[in-house]
Amino acid sequence: MEIWSALIQGFATAATPVNLMWAFVGCALGTAVGVLPGIGPATAVAMLLPITAKVDATASMIFFAGIYYGAMYGGSTTSILLNTPGETASMVTAMEGNKMAKSGRAGAALATAAIGSFVAGSIATVLVTLAAPVVAEFAVKLGPPEYFMLMLLAFTTVSAVLGQSTLRGLTSLFVGLALGLVGLDQISGQARYTGGVPELLDGIEIVLVAVGLFAVSEALHAVLFEGKVEESQNRMSRVTMSREDWRRSVPAWLRGAAIGAPFGCIPAGGTEIPTFLSYATEKRLAKDEYKAEFGHQGAIEGVAGPEAANNATVTAALIPLLTLGIPVSNTTAIMLGAFQNYGIQPGPQLFSSSAALVWALIASLYIGNVMLLVLNLPLVGFWVKLLKVPKPQLYAGILIFATVGAYGMRQSAFDLFLLYAIGVLGLVMRRFDFPTAPVVVGMILGPLAEAQLRNAISIGEGSPMVFLERPMSVTILVVVLAVLILPRAVGWWQGRKAAQAAV
Amino acid sequence: MSQDKRKPSLLQGLVGLGVVGIALGLAAGALTIPSAAGYGGVGPNFLPWLVSAALLVCGGFILYEVRTGGFRHLEEGPPDEAPYWPGFIWMSAGLLANAALITTLGFILSCALCFVLASRGMRNAQGQDTSGLATWIKDGITGVLIAAPVYWLFTKFLAINLPGLTETGWL
Repeated sequence: MEIWSALIQGFATAATPVNLMWAFVGCALGTAVGVLPGIGPATAVAMLLPITAKVDATASMIFFAGIYYGAMYGGSTTSILLNTPGETASMVTAMEGNKMAKSGRAGAALATAAIGSFVAGSIATVLVTLAAPVVAEFAVKLGPPEYFMLMLLAFTTVSAVLGQSTLRGLTSLFVGLALGLVGLDQISGQARYTGGVPELLDGIEIVLVAVGLFAVSEALHAVLFEGKVEESQNRMSRVTMSREDWRRSVPAWLRGAAIGAPFGCIPAGGTEIPTFLSYATEKRLAKDEYKAEFGHQGAIEGVAGPEAANNATVTAALIPLLTLGIPVSNTTAIMLGAFQNYGIQPGPQLFSSSAALVWALIASLYIGNVMLLVLNLPLVGFWVKLLKVPKPQLYAGILIFATVGAYGMRQSAFDLFLLYAIGVLGLVMRRFDFPTAPVVVGMILGPLAEAQLRNAISIGEGSPMVFLERPMSVTILVVVLAVLILPRAVGWWQGRKAAQAAV
Repeated sequence: MSQDKRKPSLLQGLVGLGVVGIALGLAAGALTIPSAAGYGGVGPNFLPWLVSAALLVCGGFILYEVRTGGFRHLEEGPPDEAPYWPGFIWMSAGLLANAALITTLGFILSCALCFVLASRGMRNAQGQDTSGLATWIKDGITGVLIAAPVYWLFTKFLAINLPGLTETGWL
């Protein structure tokens, strides 16, 4: 019962008044940024990264986890009540949730989303508790070749599998890798791409890239294209669920959690696939009398399932982050950046070297889930008011917070010019539908992957064959190739079948 | 093939050229990085060359897509409305003025200025009338009301250095 006592210890750390305060502020702030359009958890965590200079590691990780978590709860509120979904994660929730709200069932939709998030989040937290130490124990055995292959897998899935176009995904990834190259080379200490600018020797701050790509580009995009967009808000109704709603929601929550959690565990993140999968499952399994509700009055299963899947995925995504040090989404990538600011490298050793921190973080997930349920059920009316903030003040205000994040990190006005440049880059990317997650993941993971690659080849005494000589690394390589080739092969095959059928 | 019926635009071509340009820039930079590989067999210039080559290939494919019908699988088609450039200029002015003035004006005033300019851009984009002095004053006050507590919170409670106008730490 080693895990049990470690977890109790974690609760003891997480439940100190100061840490509870950080968890609460994180959850509240997370819900707020989830509700507010134009700002998400990745942006919020990035803007607040400068606090890592002063706040101690445990407190700030609890704080960031609260934001990460809270934003998922808040995001569903917006997607149910507004006709424009905030997060990609809540796109599916928006489909049925919006329909439910339009037919006067906003309250039931909000309730099933919040309770479902709680149920699935708690199940996934139990999974993190039980599985993470086991994975960490296993991961200790991995050497640089295996790590490099795992990172390659993360790169592949984040750029080539998620998103619309593999070409644009890969372009984004390599732009991210290029940004990660700026600064001193980790192994040889060689300066690369600094152009003689001393500020660039330390590399480009992740805060700048994240805040520029998400917040500044969002504001610039809004002012260019969204001035005339009319937003309509659905009417609120009492946040409560009938007996029938419960009966329909509970199985959907459990199925959503079962679908979502495995997707979080593998270094192939993204919530799009599990949420869509859960939606499709619910639609197929729905009883005939409810099937007609899908896409019309809005079916409660279609909110409950995907919302649970979403939360299970983001929670379980902490397993690869903590045990392997591999982030698979914007927010986890930035949380990895936060760990790095403390000189902590997440990975298998984390569970032995920073056991107190890890277990406090895991305990805070349980606590955070309860806090969020309270924040989002009785107090949902308060968050809904945030949707009334007019756009000019909202975006102008976001820019002030962007300044804090970008300037606070290094106290350099040069960074603010760079922030603008990255904002414009983000605007171009957004305009032409280039995904941003590969940039952030590439930038943070790039230097780590490079170090693993070079260490691996050193082990192989200069030969890249080392990747093929070790069974684990070959296995992962095969998975990478499968991930790249299978979807295309299936698409090609289906296309051929369709063409044959047409003839 | 699923292909969008969107005309290839000049802008998409420019994006492709931009990617190629970045690739060439990276290659030019990679030339100056020594290749001393040591035991590794892979030196500090390996990844720069790899990234540069990969971006060149990506840029090439993007240009090919543009020439053969435009970007594939565009999720977010360009909105029908033309971009509202005056708003963009106001907001850019706000951000750049903030970058230029933050060390002289201090965080609060500089951010309030950025707030006023950015908010004006967005108001104009929404078609609001901003000719009077009232909006300027209102936005200025709102800007200070947001920036000042943020400044105090970060400098006093979190001990993060943000520039002030005076040495007192309150303004």
